[in-house]
Amino acid sequence: MVSGSRLERLLREGHFVVCGEMSPPQGADKETIFRKCEYFRNYVDAVNLTDNQTAIVRMSSAMSSVFALAGGCEPIMQMTCRDRNRLAQQSEILGAYAAGVLNILCLTGDYMKFGNHPDAKGCFDLDSVQLIYAVSEMNAGRFVCGEEMKSPFGMFIGGAANPFAEPMKMRLIRLGKKIRAGAHFIQTQPVFDIPRFEKWMSAVRDEGYDQQVFILAGVMPVRSVKALLYMKNEVPGVRIADEYIKRMESAKDPKEEGVAMCVEIMKYLMQVPGVRGIHIMPVMWESITPRIVEEAGLLPRPEPKTSGGEGSDEQA
Amino acid sequence: MSRLSERVAGFFDRHPLLSKGAWLAEIIVKKALFRCQDCGQCVLSYNAFTCCMRCPKEMRNGPCGGTREDGHCEVYPERYCIWWLIYERSRKLRRLDKLRKFHIPVDRRLQHTSAWLNMFAGRIEPLTLSARLKPGEEYPPRRAKEEEKKSEG
Repeated sequence: MVSGSRLERLLREGHFVVCGEMSPPQGADKETIFRKCEYFRNYVDAVNLTDNQTAIVRMSSAMSSVFALAGGCEPIMQMTCRDRNRLAQQSEILGAYAAGVLNILCLTGDYMKFGNHPDAKGCFDLDSVQLIYAVSEMNAGRFVCGEEMKSPFGMFIGGAANPFAEPMKMRLIRLGKKIRAGAHFIQTQPVFDIPRFEKWMSAVRDEGYDQQVFILAGVMPVRSVKALLYMKNEVPGVRIADEYIKRMESAKDPKEEGVAMCVEIMKYLMQVPGVRGIHIMPVMWESITPRIVEEAGLLPRPEPKTSGGEGSDEQA
Repeated sequence: MSRLSERVAGFFDRHPLLSKGAWLAEIIVKKALFRCQDCGQCVLSYNAFTCCMRCPKEMRNGPCGGTREDGHCEVYPERYCIWWLIYERSRKLRRLDKLRKFHIPVDRRLQHTSAWLNMFAGRIEPLTLSARLKPGEEYPPRRAKEEEKKSEG
């Protein structure tokens, strides 16, 4: 056990986990976070708090994670390399850990151009692989510069993987790097192309990566065909099979169809060998989470048997 | 690097004009050939002689998730993703093994200095033309030591 977080304990006990995702408010209103926590508490095992996603300013991921804790949810703090250099990243991680945040997802971050401050300077001091390495060094009791840390520290480290972007072999090389750098779990981009995911997953199993890291497959409920087309055309690195677009176009009630599609993809992912959990990304539609989890037959959520607290530094 | 090369590099380091000259000679060649971004810690030999610092996000360990289906960059759609090019060239030159190398965080102090001198002085890892990684290079430094111990024990 590295961190003793609820997510880590559940995964190590062999449970199939469910994660959610919420975006912090575009303002200083913490009540929004508490309200959104209602949709996730008791329905998912942990919730990602995004870090200025698509480069749009929101409440900081670390502070929102602390509010999510207060709201009764287990947070996964996302951290990007776009906005902070290695000093700021490590200091924010220390603060979040002290406040009880035990999971972190290390990302490179969307480019400034896509957000509401396209004129900003990007930092990109570390890349996501190096950020995983930095947190893993902190787990081993030192900062990324090599200097020793004065107090015990342990976070459950996550990374992202994109099964749908080309070239796939390069993606697998990079996944291997993330694992060797110290990642414990991997969350993927949303699955909207099952044959491609199948192909990627079998390559992952061939490399033996599914034995070294917990893979959580992403899903995304969509409300309209417009949202799906936006994903297909405007978000690079996302692949959407035409079948889903046709289904959404011809649906009488697109919302119902979106839920049905999401549940169907989840049920498929649950039986893929090597997939250890689901990561639901209900972008701006957090309220649908309880229904999706229930319809996929993933309720009630299990309680970890092992206790948290001080863990030994044992690798996944 | 050997003691001789360290002494040569030391001599250059003590004479700022000489080391500026070495940097200028290097940057002119590498700018022309590789569109070098002058980070001072060259990884060209790992990346099939394609400079990864040309990436808008300066990714040193592989592509971000935003490569478009046609291999173009998400930030500048008119350009190729640099990691797409690196992968394609590595495949053609049979240097895919080299892509598995873990690159440590960039030392920003070395920017605008000669990578060749830095290599001779032992400030950065030596560049090798070999198409294979040395044992342990795919791990971060601490893990590499652990793995070495494991294989010895």
